[in-house]
Amino acid sequence: MSSLSPETVQTVAGLEKYKHGFSTDIEQEFAPKGLNTDVIRFISEKKGEPEWMLEWRLAAYERWQAMEEPTWAKVDYTPVDYQDLYYYAAPKQKAGPKSLDEIDPEILETYKKLGIPLKEQEVLAGVEGASRYAVDAVFDSVSVVTTFREELAKAGVIFMPISEALREHPELVRQYLGSVVPVSDNYFAALNSAVFSDGSFVYVPPGVRCPMELSTYFRINASSTGQFERTLIIADKGAYVSYLEGCTAPMRDENQLHAAVVELVALDDAEIKYSTVQNWYPGDAEGKGGIYNFVTKRADCRGDRSKVSWTQVETGSAVTWKYPSCLLKGDGASGEFYSIAITNGRQQADTGTKMVHLGPNTRSRIISKGVSAGRSTNTYRGLVSAHPKAKGARNFTQCDSLLIGKDCAAHTVPYVEARNSQAQFEHEATTTRLSDDQLFYAMQRGLSQEEAVALLVNGFVRDVLQQLPMEFAVEAQKLVAISLEGSVG
Amino acid sequence: MTAPFAIDLRNAETFPTRRVEDWKWSDLRKFLRAAPEPSPALAVAPGGPFAALGGEEIAFGNGRDSAGASEVGYVARGRETLRLRFVTDASGTGHQARATVEVEAGAALLLLETYEGSGSAYVANAGLSLKLGKGARLTRIVLLDDQADALSISAAEVALSEGAVFEQTVLASGARLQRHETRVAHPGHGASVRLDGLYVLGGERHADLTTVVEHAGVGGETRQLTKGVVSGRARGVFQGRIVVAHGADKTDARMGHHALILSDRAEVDAKPELEIYADDVACAHGNTIGALDENALFYARARGIPEPEARAMLTEAFLGEVLDRIEDERVREFARGWLGARLEALS
Repeated sequence: MSSLSPETVQTVAGLEKYKHGFSTDIEQEFAPKGLNTDVIRFISEKKGEPEWMLEWRLAAYERWQAMEEPTWAKVDYTPVDYQDLYYYAAPKQKAGPKSLDEIDPEILETYKKLGIPLKEQEVLAGVEGASRYAVDAVFDSVSVVTTFREELAKAGVIFMPISEALREHPELVRQYLGSVVPVSDNYFAALNSAVFSDGSFVYVPPGVRCPMELSTYFRINASSTGQFERTLIIADKGAYVSYLEGCTAPMRDENQLHAAVVELVALDDAEIKYSTVQNWYPGDAEGKGGIYNFVTKRADCRGDRSKVSWTQVETGSAVTWKYPSCLLKGDGASGEFYSIAITNGRQQADTGTKMVHLGPNTRSRIISKGVSAGRSTNTYRGLVSAHPKAKGARNFTQCDSLLIGKDCAAHTVPYVEARNSQAQFEHEATTTRLSDDQLFYAMQRGLSQEEAVALLVNGFVRDVLQQLPMEFAVEAQKLVAISLEGSVG
Repeated sequence: MTAPFAIDLRNAETFPTRRVEDWKWSDLRKFLRAAPEPSPALAVAPGGPFAALGGEEIAFGNGRDSAGASEVGYVARGRETLRLRFVTDASGTGHQARATVEVEAGAALLLLETYEGSGSAYVANAGLSLKLGKGARLTRIVLLDDQADALSISAAEVALSEGAVFEQTVLASGARLQRHETRVAHPGHGASVRLDGLYVLGGERHADLTTVVEHAGVGGETRQLTKGVVSGRARGVFQGRIVVAHGADKTDARMGHHALILSDRAEVDAKPELEIYADDVACAHGNTIGALDENALFYARARGIPEPEARAMLTEAFLGEVLDRIEDERVREFARGWLGARLEALS
């Protein structure tokens, strides 16, 4: 050890912590650096979009220029230079219909390293009884492959990149795009509306229970590139779909911007389960590099008895600004938000949810578990509101924060607004530290300190882990342990 | 948070709008766009709501004491009672006053602070600086009795020394906009703070109880309980923030806010905040908003109590919990009487 420089030791330690930090060396095509109407036209043309879409983008760009970047979150970061970014980066590939054989082997290798099965037979060849899931793989600005499309199509489920949906199902996209998150909703949503490049589109027809888990895997690869994906999921009457997204990026010294918009629409009796495992590169221990994750996610529970459940495991990103929300409009609509946010090093997370009760008998449930370690800051920010018409609205909120170490911070900022006499809102929050007694007990049984911390933290977040689809729960549990490495002692 | 004394009625620039985060539910600028005309002089007869409790009296009439001063200081050296009265009788005009109260080391003060408003559409602004020496004890009772169309703002900054005890109970009945703000610098080291509040609002009244407690030292304790009831088109606002600074270990802080909404046009907004920069702490808050417990109501009716009486009884019991925490029996009884009268006025 003595012959190694401290930097090397640190780098190696960092490498172990963030195992997705490699980058893939392939030939890529970029839009010119910076943001202007030409770049937007370039993106729209690359995607072969209809004219109305281009106009929509340009209008969004105009709105964005008049807006100011929000500063109310408890995060502090070097401002983004929006003219110093590439807004479009795509692996060069041959024209023509996509099949796995035509995809750059480097990209296939990347996903293999990330453990994402892109070959359907690989998934099928898995352990007997293991559930299958379809994947849409987004590499920087484009979707490189979407699996199981034919099988899904048999059930009537549309699952494809949104750029393709714009060509094949323009009427559906036009009807719903921007109907949940309006173009000028906020600064980052407006930016996304102007420059979004890809993302997933899902439509589940009436009465259909989607036969498998759908997932999207987002990978930022190119440097100086922002990723602006747009996801739109529509569950028609009585439909059900479970969707999972995962995100990783290479380790780079620069801060990269990720500004996504996710819109969910649930009609009568429909249910959408949306799970996220966000593991963008968080930067090094000194706070250098890492992803700025400024995301707008919102579900519109339009239908009576519709239900949307958000589950998120947030372990990555240098700065997170994210509030997956539910507009509960239908009679008896319900929304759920289960969140684990773990920050370590110099990470900053300001995340939570909004449950907006607009219809009668609407219900919502919020379980948020924040874990801060190192020199990080972790804020829960949430809103629960009941409109005068939301008679019989119910909410239960529980926010627990766990602190590990002297130099981290945990904040809880809930907003509660009740505007009728038949709403019932309950909110509880606690902030505590990892118990020395429990730690001692676990270590006395032979666990190392890190194992003991991982065990206790996994216990602390258990209520949320249980909400994840099984195969991801195991992965998330490991992620919890990895994220906290080096936080004690 | 705007500093407690940021508002100066002579300067409209200092009036916060709802774009200022800490005033988001109490938009002063909406009701007050320009500096109001100054209120006329007012002579105040000694006495006030707490006259029976005796002690010293300082009374402001439309922002001036009997000597014409708008800033007054008081130092408590033994076991004392001070009736600090902000009396208003004005129509469409405004005034402001400042008071500094110091409780010396080892001394104890019962501060009975009253806002007694008559007239209409006045604007009243009060600022208090409260200082507690080592081991000092300050019990502060605040009675906010304003006219329905008044704008009434009161802000206090409280500085505690080690081992000091600060207890506060605010009784609010609202106004067009009534804001009561308390900011406590908590040094830890055996000091303890109790911050309680009660609001009973009808008509179109609006009351905003805002508190900030900043724990800077080791071993501080804070207990907070605010309860309220709103009916008609009234609006109750509770904003509580507990900050625990880096190194303020062994802090133990609990905050609770619970409200009843009796009408479909009434509103309650709450923001119980924790801002924690130390790890060895136990902090918690709870917030509930809703209607009366139907089971309790059913139980009472099953015992032969008519519904209106059962409702009144349960509401009074719900709110009474705050008053049970007042140690001084005479003050507690006074507060119970105040609550009873207010609830009667609601129904």
